[in-house]
Amino acid sequence: MKPAAFDHHAPADVGEAVAMLADLGEDAKVLAGGQSLVPMLALRLAVPEHLVDLRRTAGLRGVAEHEPADGCEGVLRVGACTTQTAIGRSADAARAVPLLARATPLIGHFQIRNRGTVGGSLAHADAAAEYPSVALALGARMHARSPRGARTIPADRFFTGMWTTDLADDELLTAVDFPVWRGRRGFAIEEFARRGGDFAIAGAAVAVELAGDDRVRRCGIGLFGLGPTPLRAAAAEEAATGMAVADIAADEVGRAAVAGLDVVPADLHASADHRRHVGAVVTARAWRRAVREAAHA
Amino acid sequence: MTGVRAAAARYAGARVPRVEDPRLLTGHGTYVDDVVRPGMLHACFVRSPLARARVLGVDAAEALALEGVHAVFTAADLNPDVREQWYTLIGRDVPDTPRPPLAEGEVRFVGDPVALVVAADRYVAEDAAELVAVDYEPLPPVVDYATAHESDELVHEGYPGNVAGTLGGPPLDELAPVFDGAALVVRETIRQQAYAQVPIETRGLVAEWSAPAGELTIWTATQSPHEVRLFCSRLLGLPEQRVRVVMRDTGGGFGQKVVPQREDMCVMLAARKVPGALKWIEDRRENLMSAGQARHEHADARLAFAADGTILAAAVDHVQDVGAYPVPWPVGTAAAVGMFFPGPYRVTRATWTSTSVFSNTVGRNAYRGPWQLESLAREVLLDVAARRMGLDPADLRRRNLLRRDELPYTNPNGMPYSDITPLETFERALEILGYEEFRKEQERARAEGRYLGVGTCTYVEPTTAAMALHATEGATIRIEPSGKVNVYVSGGSSGNSIETTVVQLTADALGVDIADVSTIQGDTAVTPFGGGAAGSRSGSMTAGAVGETAAVLRERITAIAAHRLEAAPGDVELTGGRARVRGVPGAEVSLAEIAELAYFRPDELPPGVPPGLEHSGRYRPATPVIFANATHVCTCEVDVVTGAVTLLRYVVGEDCGPMINPNVVEGQIAGGVVQGIGGALFEHLAYDGEGNPVATTFMDYLLPTAGDVPVIEYGHVETPAAGPGGYKGVGEGGAIGAPPAVVNAVADALAPFGAQITRLPLTPESIVALVRAADGTVPR
Amino acid sequence: MPDADIRVRVNGALRRATVPPRLTLADYLRERCGLTGTHLGCEHGVCGACTVLLDGEAVRACLVFAVQADGADVTTVEGLAAPDGALSPVQAAFRDEHGLQCGFCTPGFVVSVTAFLRDTPDPTDEQIREALSGNLCRCTGYQGILRAVRTAARTAAADPPAAGGESR
Repeated sequence: MKPAAFDHHAPADVGEAVAMLADLGEDAKVLAGGQSLVPMLALRLAVPEHLVDLRRTAGLRGVAEHEPADGCEGVLRVGACTTQTAIGRSADAARAVPLLARATPLIGHFQIRNRGTVGGSLAHADAAAEYPSVALALGARMHARSPRGARTIPADRFFTGMWTTDLADDELLTAVDFPVWRGRRGFAIEEFARRGGDFAIAGAAVAVELAGDDRVRRCGIGLFGLGPTPLRAAAAEEAATGMAVADIAADEVGRAAVAGLDVVPADLHASADHRRHVGAVVTARAWRRAVREAAHA
Repeated sequence: MTGVRAAAARYAGARVPRVEDPRLLTGHGTYVDDVVRPGMLHACFVRSPLARARVLGVDAAEALALEGVHAVFTAADLNPDVREQWYTLIGRDVPDTPRPPLAEGEVRFVGDPVALVVAADRYVAEDAAELVAVDYEPLPPVVDYATAHESDELVHEGYPGNVAGTLGGPPLDELAPVFDGAALVVRETIRQQAYAQVPIETRGLVAEWSAPAGELTIWTATQSPHEVRLFCSRLLGLPEQRVRVVMRDTGGGFGQKVVPQREDMCVMLAARKVPGALKWIEDRRENLMSAGQARHEHADARLAFAADGTILAAAVDHVQDVGAYPVPWPVGTAAAVGMFFPGPYRVTRATWTSTSVFSNTVGRNAYRGPWQLESLAREVLLDVAARRMGLDPADLRRRNLLRRDELPYTNPNGMPYSDITPLETFERALEILGYEEFRKEQERARAEGRYLGVGTCTYVEPTTAAMALHATEGATIRIEPSGKVNVYVSGGSSGNSIETTVVQLTADALGVDIADVSTIQGDTAVTPFGGGAAGSRSGSMTAGAVGETAAVLRERITAIAAHRLEAAPGDVELTGGRARVRGVPGAEVSLAEIAELAYFRPDELPPGVPPGLEHSGRYRPATPVIFANATHVCTCEVDVVTGAVTLLRYVVGEDCGPMINPNVVEGQIAGGVVQGIGGALFEHLAYDGEGNPVATTFMDYLLPTAGDVPVIEYGHVETPAAGPGGYKGVGEGGAIGAPPAVVNAVADALAPFGAQITRLPLTPESIVALVRAADGTVPR
Repeated sequence: MPDADIRVRVNGALRRATVPPRLTLADYLRERCGLTGTHLGCEHGVCGACTVLLDGEAVRACLVFAVQADGADVTTVEGLAAPDGALSPVQAAFRDEHGLQCGFCTPGFVVSVTAFLRDTPDPTDEQIREALSGNLCRCTGYQGILRAVRTAARTAAADPPAAGGESR
């Protein structure tokens, strides 16, 4: 089980990297932590001619909180090549974006998290991965660069299909802004997997902010394992927003979250039906925990 | 064995640290992939992507043009060189199932080897394998073994109905009056999924041909180096002494590596056609696609009971999937499912049938307790019966388990049980668990809407079956001129701690310090012939071999010492590396001094004592089989909403006789138990409807992890068997007892829903479905 | 597909090599450095047998290319024992607690546990199980391995310098 041959490139900065990507086109793949890509190379499910390796690329690492300004809410800006372990160890992440911190230990195993990166996880866009659903639930924004310039992509426009994103061939994900929810907020991520560390059969990341009168001011529900892409349970969010939290049945949120799902994956580990069932259960469980935390915040 | 005894067993029974560990812990083991030879070449197989197809042609031109590619062999190149192909354990005359090295004319499962690429390294070999163009004409595959007998398609010509063979006991009709007149008959069809051994080291070998010498040397991952040599010598028509097989460390086998398979044959055949040593290391995808499956079978099982719960009769119809190319002959081994279906219970009437059916999937091969469906079927039925009778399943078993005073006991299929303790291990395990307490806890939990369960399995297993390849075992002990000891047995480290066992036994037998004993194993050029690690035989057989051999040397040492110390041989004892005259302080001589006499001053030896301190002995057990028994008890909690099963406690009460090393015994049990847990809950070597394997990576083939297993507790009952040391086998039982215990625990947890489990694996989805089917609602 | 020149410090010794980009770190260590203690059990990042320390962090050597280790420090299982062969505390605990049988998965466990206990010197049982769940063992049922991690943590707590170990 050995990868096919490829050319290896290690650009020093983002400009060089995107120039290479533009030059190499669809024959190139970006290599970040490699924890998803390298298995695909080993199995020869991916056979790119070129790998653009970001290990020496400057300016892609780190976690920094940006205070609210100009009417925008504060964000935690995470460099795309920041490892999952670095997130797990970051006190800033734990404080500012607890949902991101809490999702981290659910990703693979610690040896995987030592290499795996935030940007890699998002750009790989596995429908069963944790971080994409966190990005969706919180309304994260992706910073992308290409030789044509920079742009920002909201999370709910980023995941466009199975293992595909809105990024163009010549575009590199450089950083992600995770909004820092303030006030009476609560977060929870729940997933159900056959074994710890496996990709989830179904999972849900929930963020809730309550108004002073205990109504839901806003909420975000990201689902994973339940479709061809990471999903946002928009209808369930909409139904809950503005409601008094006491009037919302968590089970109902779960049901609503999976109600509209049409293309649910089925494999050896779970049928579509079972995934839907578990999806509703984990969404309800996450909702309960998030609401409880918000109420006590 | 009579004669002089060592003073006392100092090491047998002790938790002696393993002698294998220092090298293995520091990365200095020698597994087959660690072997490097000058000019070594690397092999990669081209495998069928189709479950069944006619091979119209193989075009290797593009592959051969690739830099670094040495050869591409097809069936036409390798298969005609086969001289004889049969396994020693099975014998030459059994009507074995087909087994060509490379697929000839037709491919019969996804992964069937079609061509062998030889290249400078594995990377290039894989590149080249992709370039070999095979022209296939798809044929309709026979995927489902359970319906294969009705199929118009045949996996192999000459096997009507795809039946590889059938065996059975007396006609079921003879038992009809018993079943008809019984107060209760429980009958269920119990189905197991395919799962496999999955050693963490895949298969592999390096074969190096020396044309001038006419010698072939093979380094391989195997449980039986001597069988590899015998098989290879027959395959190639080479004299046995011209084949040398070397194995230092094998990374687990569990049955997968007991005999060479088709890929091994190909590499052996190709080795004489390439200019350097040829290495093939299977990758994980190949291993999960082509190395074999086990457990894929079902049993239509029935038990008849009297009104008081007494078992009156047992019958089982067993059908097993043997895939396309089973290894070895699967028909005979399947008989054990029927023979042991009555288990360690008082059953007077029984019968069975067993049918082996081909399919276009990977071949069946030996896996740890190959007959374990007998326990699964029986123990599940006993729980079903207990529920129907309103009895506690423990009480139903107590009424029927064999008692010591009933032994020896021949089961209705002719199995002559002796020295077993099923009722004792049962009570011991339940006591450790606190069974009654658990029942109360279960009741409290149910009141809170939590579902706990307990399940048991009690079985008797045949170990150390002494036939054919496994009939005898040899040992050579060399007390070197310095008085230090080397002991040679076939062995080889494959996870069973046989190096440590042999060193312990030898140190005790000679009364020397364990640090003064080393063992040399796994190299056919220097070790005595031996059958290998299979059938739970290594411990007891090797104990016999070491015992026979050491006894002769002890006698010789004692004679020399008595002569030297002017004492009667009967007064001499061996201890601490010295021969001492009992009761006479200071009258002693060291083994080193005795060795010096034996080797360098033969004139000073007593009359009739041969020079040197080296001996080879061979052990043949007095009984054809040694029975061992155990009870497994498992508790669990089931989340009926998601179907998640959490195992809470796991207790094994077992009787493998006196333990040579409790660490080794417990390690074997734990490993087997966790494989059984895997089979009950996680592992599934699944195929889709077209015969495509869908679990060919560790992302899809789910092995249990440290997060999935409970702490295992042990209760040892040490009842000696008839053989040397009273030792019994313990290698396989863990994998037998665990699936029924887990299944029964889950079924017990779900009893309030009236759920009945007859099909494995217990995936979360299947558990939710059971609950849903039982009460019609979707739990939340 | 041009080869690349790399410099890697492996178990303290600086090595230079010219490697094809597709050569994995695991194959580089096994084939170019002769360090065959790093085992390949799946080559797709699940079994953990190939775990090594890359700049101190436990990683799957099958999921890293040798070119990515250019300039890095690598420690393999061969680099854990003392030069005189004395086992490290983790290795000694595996031996004392029957934490290995066939030994094939063992280097990955030993390396992973070494990193885990360095970062989590006083782990709970749950943390231990979580940390071990990225390595597969087929022989031991994990029983001896779980005990070994507890023992190694205790040993390190009782003997803070955490160097050397019991001699054989």
